[in-house]
Amino acid sequence: MTEKSCGVLDEEEFYKCCRLLLQQSEQLRDGWSWEAVQGSEGYLKKTALRPVPAPQREEESGSHPQMHSTCNPSPQPPQEEQPVCVASSDPSSSSDELEDEDDNSCWVAENIGLMFQFEYHILYSCSYAVPVLYFRAFTLEGRSLTLGEVWSCVHPNFRICLQSCPLNAISQQEHPLLGQPFFVFHPCRTEDFMKPMLQAAQDQHRTVNYVLSWLSVVGPVVGLDVSLNYSLERLPGAPPCSPRQH
Amino acid sequence: MADDKDVLRDVWFGRIPTCFTLNPDEITEREAEPYYLLLPRVSYLPLVTDKVKKHFHKVMKAEDVEEMWFEYEGTPLKWHYPIGVLFDLHASNTVLPWSITVHFKSFPDRDLLHCPSNSIIEAHFMSSIKEADALKHKSQVVNDMQKKDHKQLWMGLQNDKFDQFWAMNRKLMEYPTEEGGFRYIPFRIYQALSERLFIQKLFRPVSPEGNTHTLGDLLKEMYPDALTNDGEQKRYQVLIHGIEPLLETPLQWLSEHLSHPDNFLHICAIPVPTD
Repeated sequence: MTEKSCGVLDEEEFYKCCRLLLQQSEQLRDGWSWEAVQGSEGYLKKTALRPVPAPQREEESGSHPQMHSTCNPSPQPPQEEQPVCVASSDPSSSSDELEDEDDNSCWVAENIGLMFQFEYHILYSCSYAVPVLYFRAFTLEGRSLTLGEVWSCVHPNFRICLQSCPLNAISQQEHPLLGQPFFVFHPCRTEDFMKPMLQAAQDQHRTVNYVLSWLSVVGPVVGLDVSLNYSLERLPGAPPCSPRQH
Repeated sequence: MADDKDVLRDVWFGRIPTCFTLNPDEITEREAEPYYLLLPRVSYLPLVTDKVKKHFHKVMKAEDVEEMWFEYEGTPLKWHYPIGVLFDLHASNTVLPWSITVHFKSFPDRDLLHCPSNSIIEAHFMSSIKEADALKHKSQVVNDMQKKDHKQLWMGLQNDKFDQFWAMNRKLMEYPTEEGGFRYIPFRIYQALSERLFIQKLFRPVSPEGNTHTLGDLLKEMYPDALTNDGEQKRYQVLIHGIEPLLETPLQWLSEHLSHPDNFLHICAIPVPTD
């Protein structure tokens, strides 16, 4: 039995999972990179543009029309009353930071001022022995979003159940490597929800990348979707995406 | 161990004489007098500075007042670090009272966490206690506590009630005798003048061979530069609550007696003053 089957991950395995995720990301070109901080430590980083949720549109609007932009292809789209879906055959509709892997649809943000820039970091918490998602967000003018604005970007279905937690699931905290304010998904429940997932994988003799599986659970809450390609395609030449079982 | 109980009291009631001065760029209707306070080392700035806020609000127009924040010699002070840690890190070896500048404008939101209410401090405090207990007892003690027990820890800190706090906190300090200490010691080593914020890793109170780990053992592994080698001049002071504990002190004892109420042992490595 590895430690994984109890829902946690040791630091070395974390780095291994990150390396594998990066290899796949490179092939899928979805923008993850590794930021090294002093020696061996570091974190995975990705930035993405997300459309501003409807209630905030009036406040943030009033800038340059144009930009036919893609946005979240998630099953939990940002809460817009009347989202417009179009087929995204136009290759110019995706920017570098913004990858739309599901090619069937995309949202049209009619106005570039209606986008937020999100920056996601995946760090390791040695206290909880799990990965932790840190993120921050800015308007395109560079103003930091408040916690309230961040919550309004969370799909209502998630919001209701997460805000009722005794310890609010999202809070502002210091990034332990950068010392700057970030929002964070509190890691104290991570072990609990990872346990059954890892157990099932073990029972079926499937190998899983802990970081990837975990990200597919927490990411969508804050608009960070994990492409199905990570799981569907066994990329040629890529090693199996799992830390070794001891 | 009557003496050890005294240590807990001494730590809890540690105070720093502080002079708060309004940032000269703030718009006031008349001159703002400085405000003096004895700050509890184990508390958090926004929790004990209501009087400071009221004092300066009196000379300001409501429209000129935004979220209050503090600065010491150009450095914005992080409210989520215990006050004693901020002092040791930025102002030890300087003349008392500690001179803090108060701001009501231009909140540096790339440096500081917002603190709109005491519930944010409470959430931060409880999240530290939870993290510490994850290290000490795999979260078992904190998870077995009831909501009112968590509240008791917080109210104890908020209202400066030593007995109320410790009646509950002692549960977080227990461990099976046969193990000789916690699973891991919750600690952070802050380095003044370093790009790296702090060191926080896994470290056990007892070695695999059964030897007691000391403060010196921890530093040797985590931050050897802080130690003085034979024949070398001392370069760093290693401070906990403003004092330099002997490097031979067992880490488990330090964790039980010199931790902050957030259950972390906050250790500051400060360059020895040159002049």
